[in-house]
Formats: sequence, C-alpha cells, structure tokens
Amino acid sequence: MWQAGGVSDEDRLSRAQARTILGRVFKMAAPFRRTMYVAFGCVMVTTATTLSAPVIVRHGIDAGIRARDTGALNLSVVMYLVVVSLTYVFGRMLFVFVNRTGESFLRLLRLAVFRQMQRQSMAFFDRNKAGVLVARMTADIESMSELVQWGLLQFLSAVLMLVFSIVVLLFLSWQLTIIALIVMPVLVFSSIKFQRDSNRAYLTVRERVGANLSALQEGITTVRVIQAYAQEDEVKSKFKVSNRSLFAAHEKSVRVSTWYFALVEFSGVLASALMIGIGGWFAHRGTVTLGTVVAFVLLLSSLFDPVQQLSQLYNTVQSAGAALNKLFAILDAKPEVDEHHSPVDLPRTGELKVSNISFTYAGAENQALDDVSIRVGVGEKLALVGPTGAGKSTLAKLMARLYDPQTGTVEFGGVNLTMASMTSLRERIAVVPQEGFLFNGTIRDNLRIARANATDAEIEAAIDAIGATEHFAQFSDGLDTQVRERGSRLSAGERQLVALARAALVDPAVLVLDEATSNLDPGTEAEVEHALERLMLGRTVIVVAHRLSTVQRADHIAVVVDAKIAEFGSHEELLARNGHYAELARAWVQSHSVN
Amino acid sequence: MSVSESETEVSARLEFEQAQRSEGWKLLRGLLRDQRRNLVIGGLIGMSWAAFKVAIPQVTKLAINDGIEKNGPLLKWALIIAGLGVLTGILSGFRRYVAFRESRWAETLLRERLFGHVLDLNIGYHDKAQTGQLMSRASSDLMQIQGFIVMIPITMSNVIQIFAVAAILFITDPVLALVAMAPLPFVNLSARRFSSRIHKITLAVQAEQAQLANVVEESVSGVRVVKGFGAEQVQFDKLEKEADDIYAESMKAAKIRSNFMPAIDILPALGAVGVLGVGGHRVLSGQISIGDLVAFNVYLTLLVWPLRNVGMIIALGQRAASALVRIHEVLSTKSEITDPPMARDLPSPNGKQLGAVKFDHVQFGYDADRPVLKNFNLEIAAGESIAIVGATASGKSTVARLLLRFYDTNNGHVYLDGVDVRKLKLRELRQQIGVVFEDTVLFNDSVKSNISFARPNASQADLEKAAKLAGAHDFILQLPNSYDTVIGERGFSLSGGQRQRIAIARAIISDPRVLVLDDATSAVDPSKEGEIRDAMRTVMSGRTTIVIAHRPGTIALASRVVFIDELTVAAIGKHEDLVATNARYREVLASMQNTAPDFLEELVK
Repeated sequence: MWQAGGVSDEDRLSRAQARTILGRVFKMAAPFRRTMYVAFGCVMVTTATTLSAPVIVRHGIDAGIRARDTGALNLSVVMYLVVVSLTYVFGRMLFVFVNRTGESFLRLLRLAVFRQMQRQSMAFFDRNKAGVLVARMTADIESMSELVQWGLLQFLSAVLMLVFSIVVLLFLSWQLTIIALIVMPVLVFSSIKFQRDSNRAYLTVRERVGANLSALQEGITTVRVIQAYAQEDEVKSKFKVSNRSLFAAHEKSVRVSTWYFALVEFSGVLASALMIGIGGWFAHRGTVTLGTVVAFVLLLSSLFDPVQQLSQLYNTVQSAGAALNKLFAILDAKPEVDEHHSPVDLPRTGELKVSNISFTYAGAENQALDDVSIRVGVGEKLALVGPTGAGKSTLAKLMARLYDPQTGTVEFGGVNLTMASMTSLRERIAVVPQEGFLFNGTIRDNLRIARANATDAEIEAAIDAIGATEHFAQFSDGLDTQVRERGSRLSAGERQLVALARAALVDPAVLVLDEATSNLDPGTEAEVEHALERLMLGRTVIVVAHRLSTVQRADHIAVVVDAKIAEFGSHEELLARNGHYAELARAWVQSHSVN
Repeated sequence: MSVSESETEVSARLEFEQAQRSEGWKLLRGLLRDQRRNLVIGGLIGMSWAAFKVAIPQVTKLAINDGIEKNGPLLKWALIIAGLGVLTGILSGFRRYVAFRESRWAETLLRERLFGHVLDLNIGYHDKAQTGQLMSRASSDLMQIQGFIVMIPITMSNVIQIFAVAAILFITDPVLALVAMAPLPFVNLSARRFSSRIHKITLAVQAEQAQLANVVEESVSGVRVVKGFGAEQVQFDKLEKEADDIYAESMKAAKIRSNFMPAIDILPALGAVGVLGVGGHRVLSGQISIGDLVAFNVYLTLLVWPLRNVGMIIALGQRAASALVRIHEVLSTKSEITDPPMARDLPSPNGKQLGAVKFDHVQFGYDADRPVLKNFNLEIAAGESIAIVGATASGKSTVARLLLRFYDTNNGHVYLDGVDVRKLKLRELRQQIGVVFEDTVLFNDSVKSNISFARPNASQADLEKAAKLAGAHDFILQLPNSYDTVIGERGFSLSGGQRQRIAIARAIISDPRVLVLDDATSAVDPSKEGEIRDAMRTVMSGRTTIVIAHRPGTIALASRVVFIDELTVAAIGKHEDLVATNARYREVLASMQNTAPDFLEELVK
C-alpha cells in the first residue's frame, strides 16, 4: 500500500488549483451531501469511542484497582463494553456511508465526463487520441476509487484521531504529552522525505513496468517474424535486459523504504522508553499517577499511527488531484459545433447549398477549404474526387455539419445548418463512413444506433430496403446475432451492409458517403454495391469517391485540388474538357491491367 | 462445467484440479529452491525481530513494576527499552528488504522463463492463444505469486510472534490468557473469509469497469457514426447502465468491508474488556501485578497484526496457487515444431546456385478436418522466381508458411535443396529463407536494428548494401538520425512504402537462398507501388523467389505463375498463356482488379 499513488512532477498541483478542485468536488457532491454528513458524524463517534477506551482503562486501574473499589472497576468494565459496541455499530455504518458517498461521486463523474465528451465536436476527437480519452474515463477515474474506498475514511479518521489524541493526552497530563510529542518531528519529517523518495522510485518502477510490458507484448505479437528469422535467442536476451532493469528499479524502491520502516519502528519504542524514563520520574515525584503513565504507554500508538497513515495518503491524494484536474479540463471544454439556442427544424427536402466556405483544422497551417461554393439540387448525385488531403472529405464533413466553416454558410432548403436543430439535422442528412463501424451487441442494436426508438418492423424494413434481408436471414440468430467486438463476427462486406441499413433506417433526404477503399470479398462486394444503389435511389447524394465506376454514375463531379474546386461537371463534360481529370482517368484504365 | 455432474465426474474433476495444483506448487518450490539461502536468512531475521518485539512489553512490565512502582532505577529501564527499539527497527527494515527483494527476484526469473518458453512455442499455438491472456500470465499472475512469496518471511516471524506471545500470556496467568485470547481466533477467521470474499467482488468490479471501458472505447473510435447519426444518447444510456453496475458492485464490496473490517478491529478490544474485568479482580485479589495487567493489554495489540496477516496469507496462497496453475499450463505446453533429434545439414554451395524448393504431395489444413491444400505438388528450381495467384483465402500464404515450417504438413513433404525441412535444424532452415510478410511488422527500435534483425552482427557496409538493394538507403539518410532513427509506435513514423522497403532489406541481409514476398505492395500508397516493385525486382535477381500476389501488377515480377484453386495447383505457366487458356484464372484476376486502388490519388501529380 505504501506505493499507492505516484505523481510525476508535471502532474503536481499548485495550491490554488487544489483549492479550486476541492470546491468543485464539493459542489458536485451536493446531491448526496446528507450521506456525507452522516458519514462524518460516524467518524466522529468512532474516533471518540476508540480514544475513550484507554481513558476508561486508566479509570479502571486508578479508581478501581488501586483504590480497591470493586464497584468502580465493574463500572469501567461495563463502560468499556458499551464503548466497544458503539465503535462496532458506528464503524459498520461508517463504511457504508463513506463508500456510498464516494461511489456516488465517481458515478456522477463518469456520467458527467462522458456526456460532456459526447457533446464535443469532431475537432475535439481529432485533437485527443482515442487512448487518452478512454484513459480519462477509466484509469483516471479508477485511480480515485482507492481514495474513495478506504483513503477518504482513513484520512478523516487519521486527522480526527490525531487531534482527539492530543486533546485527550493534554487532558490527562500536559507534561507527559510534551514527552510523547518529542519524537513527532522526527517522524513527520522522515515521513515526508520518505514519500518524496518513494514517489520518485515508484515513478521509475512504473515507467520500467510499462517498458517491460511493451517488450513482452512486442515479443508475443511479432513472434512470427522472430521465428521466421530464427532470432528467438537474441530477442530473449534483449528482454532479459529490460526485465533485469525492472528488477533493479524494484530493488531500489524497496531500499528506499527499508530505513523508513526501521525508523518508524524504532521511534515508537523510543517513545515508550521516554515515557517510562521521564514519566516514571514524574510518577515518583507524584506529578502524575501510575495509571496515567500506563494510559500514555497505551495511547502512544494512536498518536503515531495517524501520522504514518496521513503520510501514506499523501501520494494517493496527490494523484487523485491530478486525475481530477484532467477530468475537469474535459468538463470545461466547450464544443465547437453546438446546437443553436433557438433551433429550427430543417424542411423535409431541399437544395444543399454551400456558399463561400473556408475552413482550417485547429492547429493546421494550411486551409483545408478555401472559399468553396457548390450547389446540389434535390435528388442529384455529386462525386467529390481529388488527391488525399486536398479537402474532399473535409467538404463532405462540412456539408453534414460535422464541423462548422470559419466563414461562409452551408444551407439546406434555405436554412443555415448552424441554425438547425441537431435532431432534424441528423434525420435529414446521414453520414455513412468508409468502414462499417459496428458496436458491441446484436445487428439490431447496431441499427438502433441510428434511431434509438425504431420498432422491430422498421428495422426489418430498413434491412429490406437495401435488399439484405436474405443475407442476414442466413445467420442462425438472424438480426439478433451478436456481432462481437467491433463486429468481428461479420465480414467487412457484412459490416458495410449494416452501416448502409443504418442509413436506410433514418431515411434521410441527403446521404453523405465516404466510399470504401479497402478490399471486400468478391461475394459481398456485389451485394454492397447493390445495397448502395438502392439506398441512393431518390436521395441527394454526396460521395467521396475512390472508384471510376462510382464517379461515372454521378450527375456532377467536383475535382477538389488544393482546398479549391478545380473542375466541375459531369464525367463526359470533364472528359471533353481535357483537363487533368480526363488525362488521369485515361491513364488509370491503362495502368491497371497487367503489364 | 456441466450443471449436473455425476459423483464420479466430480471426483475426477477434483482429482484433476488437485493434480494441477500440486504441479503448481511444485513449480513454486523449484523457484524457491534456488533462493533457499536468502529466504532462510530472511526467516531468521524475522524470527529474531519477533523475539525482540515480544520482549519489549515484558521489559515494559518489569520497568513499571520495578522502576515506577518500587522507585527503582528508571534510566536503566529506559535505555534497555530504547536499545530494544534500535534492534527491532533494524531487523524489521531488513526483514522487509529481504522479503521484497527475494520475491521480486523470483518474479523476474519466472517472467524470463515464461517469455522464453512462449517465444519457442509453435505458430499453431500462437494462432489460438490470445495475446491478452499471455500478457496477463506474465503480469497479473506473476504479481499474485510475488505477493505470496513476499509474505513468506513475514509470515514466519508472525507465527513465531503469535506462539511467543501466547506462551508468555499463559505463563503469566493461564486464566487471564484464555479470557484475553478467546476472541482472537475469530480475527484470523474473519480476515481469511474477508480476503477471499473481497477478492471475488474486486474481480467483479474490474469486469464491470472493463465493460464501461468498452463502451467508451467504441464511442470514441466510432465517433463518426455516433455524430453522424446523433447517437449520443444511445451511447450515454449504455454508459449509464455500466456506471450503475459498477456502483452496484462497488457497494456490494463496501457491504463486505463493513461486515468484516469493524469486526476485525473490535475482536481484540473484546479481549481487552475481559482483561480489565477479570484481570482487575485478579489484581485486587493479589494474583497478578498491575504491570502484568498492562502487559496483557499491550500483548493483545501485538497479536492483532500477525493474526490478520496469517488469515490473509491463506487467501493469498489460494490465489497464488491458481496463478501458478495457469503459468504451469503455459510452461508445460510443448512446442509441436522442434529440431529433429538427428539433424541433417543443407548442401553447401560449392559455386552452384542453391535454393531449390519442392512440395511433394502436400496435404495441410489449420484444422485437421478442413484442408487448405490437398495433393499439392510444386517444384521451384534454384534461382527461379514464381508468383502464386489465387482467390482470397485460397492458401497462397500457407505455401510460404509450410516452407518456413511454421506448420508441419499433415501429409507429404517439403524439401529445400533436396532435404526434407523436418530433417533440418529450425535455425538453419529459417536462416536460409527471407520473408517479407503481407502486414509489415517492424520493431520499435532503430532502423539499423530492424534491418540487421536477422543478422545482429552485420557490418555497417552490409547494412547499407541491403538497404540500397531494397531501395531504402536514400530515404533512410533523410531520417533525423539516419540509420539510428528509432521507428515505430514510439518513434518516427514511416510511410507504408518505407516500411516495406525496410522489411525487404531485412529479408535479404542474411543473403537467404529463398526469398518469400507476401505481396509487399498491398499496403502501399498506389503511387509508390512502382518503386516497391523496382526494389523487389532488384532483390529477386539470382535468387529463388516466391511472390504471393494480391495485386495484378505484382504478377509480372515472376517468370512463372502458379495458380492455386480448389486446394491445389490448378495451373502453372506464363501469365499470358494462363489468361488465354484459363477462364477461372481470368475470373480471379478480375476480382483482384476490381478492388484495385484509388486512381484519383494520382490526380495532379
């Protein structure tokens, strides 16, 4: 437990930051403030009862045994028993209430962070790597659960214990209290130093554990290459180096703790020695009673234990603070693309009109789109073509309001997309990404991604609309087939079919497609092609095209080059124009036969 | 496990588990035997620590009786106690050091053994094994074992401490000892039950956390779908369910904690109440001294930790046992592909062209009942280049894997230069075959180490020669640290074409007799395809080469085409002839062309 946390220097919070975080935590905890107060009350009771035990023992010895008063002795025993029972009852309650407070807070934090994450626009997801976002929602929040489960409790009771102990000791004898506290500065300073050193050692350990696991994983995942080149022995000896350096880090971190634990053990005994020596002298002089000295000997541990516990919590609290700081940063992030405060619904159908839009990705130097205008009439098909990075995908994304342009407007049926309600926007304009991305669950669940409240009949109708009913009927569980992680149960073509059915379920006026570049198995290739044709029927379509066949079928082709539309027209028109489109279309036909 | 097992089945299963378990413990004993000396030292340190620790309250008692009550010499007693403090302090530090060091050492060695063993296991094993599973063997299972070993010296001293304290208490006053210690066995019992129950629920909480992670992961990776369909609420609902599950399981854990933790704390206090009540009266009746009474109280507190620990180590031991069984399972798996007992040598060159490959009536399937190749015959002359063409999943890549002896054939033989590959040392065979895999796997390491992977002691000149042949030398010089640039996930990221060329350089650095190119152009930007093909053409000359073609353009590199269809060689010949005569060949070719890449990429170049 002593190496619970581990905070790197850049994660360390300033005092002001810590204060803000604490304030926000309390604000967030408002809904279960009552639980919190009850928990606090319980801590007070258990601390008081725990501490009163030695006082009662003292009373039993002084007033009962030494005064030879059986009645007083018996009374102490009964009181002791009552106190012990109280400690037990309130101790149980304490666990439940502290945990309820903590877990409720973590639950709230999970929901709030996720909701805010989901509200963010695409730009946010471009900026933040998937792994980092997942880590926020998992590792960062979980790093606090230790604090919630026992840390918070221990922190509270340690602080109270320390304060109460000093009060009780002062009440018993101020002279002996001073003696008991002589060792304290040594203990406090060495605890702080130990936490610093062990934190540093722990960070090294953590880093090397990571490196070692990477080496391990790389070895296992690349085993085919390793065996193909017969390099097993070399890889093993390399792993040995990383593994041994991890051992060295572990060894170092144990060594750091060795002297500290020795010192802690010693100072506890030293305090008893002082108590016997000096306390005994006081007793000889009659300044204190024997019972008081005994009580002090017994109470010493309640003075020293909290100091140790608090120092152990230091890192846990620090790392929780660092995690909260990162989480609040997400909660504070403002989504770039957000619903207008008084949104209007888009008309059922209409022309899609792009007027003079310019767009630059956050952090990018060059414009992705530079003063682009284009109109797509109802039911027309527009193919966007051009080299990677020229802006064709960006244009498609802006036409579906996945991003907002910095200047210019995108309108549907005369309504600016930025004014539209999000619900009507997603109902009118559906985006089908390049790869059929599936979520855990059944095929049916995956369609409901597009419309959560769709009935089974509507789902079947959507599958039917793209002509895939027969295909999925082949599965033993039909539409209730579990697609497994990322849809691994289905082939790439089948995943694409599900993605298209999703779009069919929405029944949008405009379809924005990013054509797949990857290979599909020849069997489903035809089915996907067919499904796509049925889906496009009667809709306005914007397709980021990669294949000549797709382009040929479009009503208009926009050749996007260097953030601008370089050529615009139908396939025949563009061929007749003899620009680069024509030239390269011809070259392609030649180069893709076997030479 | 079936729901209704017969008695014999149950006993058979129990027997099996018992056997597994004893194998696991045998593994642990083997590990610890090598560290015997240090563990004994650790145990001795622990025992002497326990002895001094137990002595302190005795001395304190004497100090109170003799020093304070009878006005004896206080300084002497104080010094004695402080001296004992120094001893226990030093000993406790060392006990901890030895325990942790030895347990980490055992963990370190076992991890190396595990990794080494896994690397040697045949590819068929790796096809089925999940990386995650193996990783958790080498991390969390080892952690369980380490957690157990670290407790061994501590437990030894704890047990000694318990016995010593019990002995002292009974000698001082047997009746009071019984009163004081009566509740203590329950501490041990509770600690044991708590530890095993909280472990189970902790695993449940972790499982729920993993599910929540899945929801987050898919929402983030699939953000285009989520945004595109406005499915934020759908995903939020999923997440809320998982968050609720975590809450519910965590509260169950809290319940368990609340059931045990206060009880564990309170039981010794009950003993203390007894001591005050019964002991107080015994002092009054003169049977024991006040010092004895105080010592009793102190001893009680000395018993609490050891008893808790002993309870914990039993639960830890159970967990370590299951971890040991799982690790033993991996370590006892034998590789199905091994060196032959009497290995033969490959013929040496003597100026002749070498690298003749022959498949003779080969039958093979990844599952025995689903053959991939059947009655497969193929002869490739030394220095010849052939292209293998076939539909997706027709077994093209399998041919190369059999030659490398990643798998053994079910029937028939594979020969390299006239020697059955099963008669060769694996290392000798594989060093003679250079492979470029379809998915270019490079290591997170420098360009230099990646290219010289197959020949770690290659000179810089050899390195550059291979890189030049593969057409990689020029771009490598452009990299920030040229050959020393670290590439991969944590380093400089290369384009698909650059990665391919490094992989090609790696394949040829040891000048293998046979080169296998599992279409090195398939993951490459189409405009770079030509450059890769040029590189391939250069390295192929004068060497037996098997090109596994996924794109039409690659076929032209080879002098002959081997067309695989319906599990076997359907046709062999020149590309043009096959196109002219074989309808099925034209069909497969057409499907390859249909998925040919993006022509528009080349616009404006």
